[in-house]
Amino acid sequence: MTARRSPNSKRKEAKKLLAALAVVVLLCLLPFSTTSPYYLHTFIITFIYVISAASLRTILLSGQISIAHGAFMGVGAYASAILAKELDWSPWLTMPIGGILAMAFGATTGYPLTRVRAIYFSMVSLFLGLAIVALMGVLQGITGGDIGMIDIPPLSTIAIRGLPAVDFGASKVPSYYFFLILTFVVLLILYRIEHSHVGMSWKAIAQSYMVASSVGVNESGQRLLAFAVGCFFAGIAGAGYAHYNMVLTRSSFGFLPSINLLIYVLVGGAGSFIGPVVGTAVLVIVPEVFRSLKAFVPFVFGGIMLFVVFFMRQGIAGLFKQLSVKLSGTGEKEMPSRAA
Amino acid sequence: MLLETKALSKHFGGLAAVSLLDISVREGEVVGLIGPNGAGKTTVLNLITGFLKPSQGRIFFEEKEISHKKPHTIARLGIGRTFQLAYLFPDFTVFENIVASFHIHPRTGFWEALLNTSSCRAKQGDIEEQAAEIMRLVGLEPVKEALGRNLPHGYQKLLSMARALAVKPKLLLLDEPIGGMSPQEIAFAMTVIEKVRTQGIAILLVEHNMKIMPLCDRVVVINFGNKIADGSMAEVRQNEEVIKAYFGRDDA
Repeated sequence: MTARRSPNSKRKEAKKLLAALAVVVLLCLLPFSTTSPYYLHTFIITFIYVISAASLRTILLSGQISIAHGAFMGVGAYASAILAKELDWSPWLTMPIGGILAMAFGATTGYPLTRVRAIYFSMVSLFLGLAIVALMGVLQGITGGDIGMIDIPPLSTIAIRGLPAVDFGASKVPSYYFFLILTFVVLLILYRIEHSHVGMSWKAIAQSYMVASSVGVNESGQRLLAFAVGCFFAGIAGAGYAHYNMVLTRSSFGFLPSINLLIYVLVGGAGSFIGPVVGTAVLVIVPEVFRSLKAFVPFVFGGIMLFVVFFMRQGIAGLFKQLSVKLSGTGEKEMPSRAA
Repeated sequence: MLLETKALSKHFGGLAAVSLLDISVREGEVVGLIGPNGAGKTTVLNLITGFLKPSQGRIFFEEKEISHKKPHTIARLGIGRTFQLAYLFPDFTVFENIVASFHIHPRTGFWEALLNTSSCRAKQGDIEEQAAEIMRLVGLEPVKEALGRNLPHGYQKLLSMARALAVKPKLLLLDEPIGGMSPQEIAFAMTVIEKVRTQGIAILLVEHNMKIMPLCDRVVVINFGNKIADGSMAEVRQNEEVIKAYFGRDDA
């Protein structure tokens, strides 16, 4: 919040931080109660998509509804996988490079995108995403085309003298912790950006680009920055996915995955920071629980989407907010009806 | 000369919204730009602030040409403006609306903001101080925490002026600053404009409501995109062309 910090808002902020830490501690304890690879796998996949969905929301902040986010995950994934596999570089190095390449790709292709707004932006981003996936097919010499890419090196063992070696191949526990920490750090960074003046400019542009530029906000520059930042973290998520999964197919980054990311954000609540976290958790874990009914998953998604659009525009996170407002009675204050 | 347009013209297709217009505003001067509906007044403001590109002619601000600069660059040079309709950021509170408008002065960099350094926090505190000051100036304190979208019309107009002041302008362009206001609101808005003027900020305002005229040092009248009169209120009132434009009197 940018409003001057009253003791009340400070307490609220402390509460939020405490709640976040409690969730992290609980998640840290999870592998002690179960080492079932299946459960851990579900959580790891959730973490990866939380990073991606949260970074998509960062782009949404600036009023740009991107339908290419899955594809930018793919750019990071393939870039990191190819560098690690063909050049034998360590995945610890190729993952950040994957993020940077996704960002560079986003910044160059995003430049013409900043010339269009609203639905036109979304349309162009949709075709950009499709083009990226098509490119992955054309470059089958290095990407494996439709057959996909296999034998991607996993995260390499961390061996520090004096400490027990951390082997990412032996069990899923180290991967679980790695992605948990990564998710936490990424969310922290995105939170800070959103609550800085940079985030404020993005929100200002989303509300009225004309008013924003009349007070000196460089509309196209800031939109490009938001897009590049979002693509960077999508690339990181994709790269992590590549080395965790060790197999890539381009269909994981096509139209539907991009739409799914949007659904995660909208169902969770695009208006609040934890929206994409909640949305992803619900929509990744629920289908896993009802795995035997997998054929019905698209219908369930559609049903949830309809429900959200009609009954809870603010998403699941917004529902909590409304409840807490109702319970504590801290709504927006009535204002005098006339100026002066 | 603070602002000067030279033979400024704007054509939409075959229609000349503004043609060969010369307007000037001196430092600290309040100039009223008036004219019947469709005379091209708002177009002039949009041309000056870079939201429209002139078809011909040039615009100078502090002797530097700004004819083809982008809106955000022009704002940074020191021209603040309000809009007739799109006043504010609807999802920000009144206070946030003003604070957001301060970000024109990018004193904190991206990385500094990301790391939330102490110097960054100090600057933020400084901005909030100044925003509070502007809020007091325009009398928005009672509605500080209200969301922009929930503001009554009069407050919205005042907020858009506060937002424009956050740019720390040398020149303020006001598009119908008292349009649609009640008599009490008009009286208050005029005291605000008067206060702004005493701070030495030059003002170019577009208005239909003649109540604003006592505030103006000079009046420029345009009709169909052409300047038909320029001078003090008393002079302009005697002008044949002006009378014709407003009352449609045919002297022939």
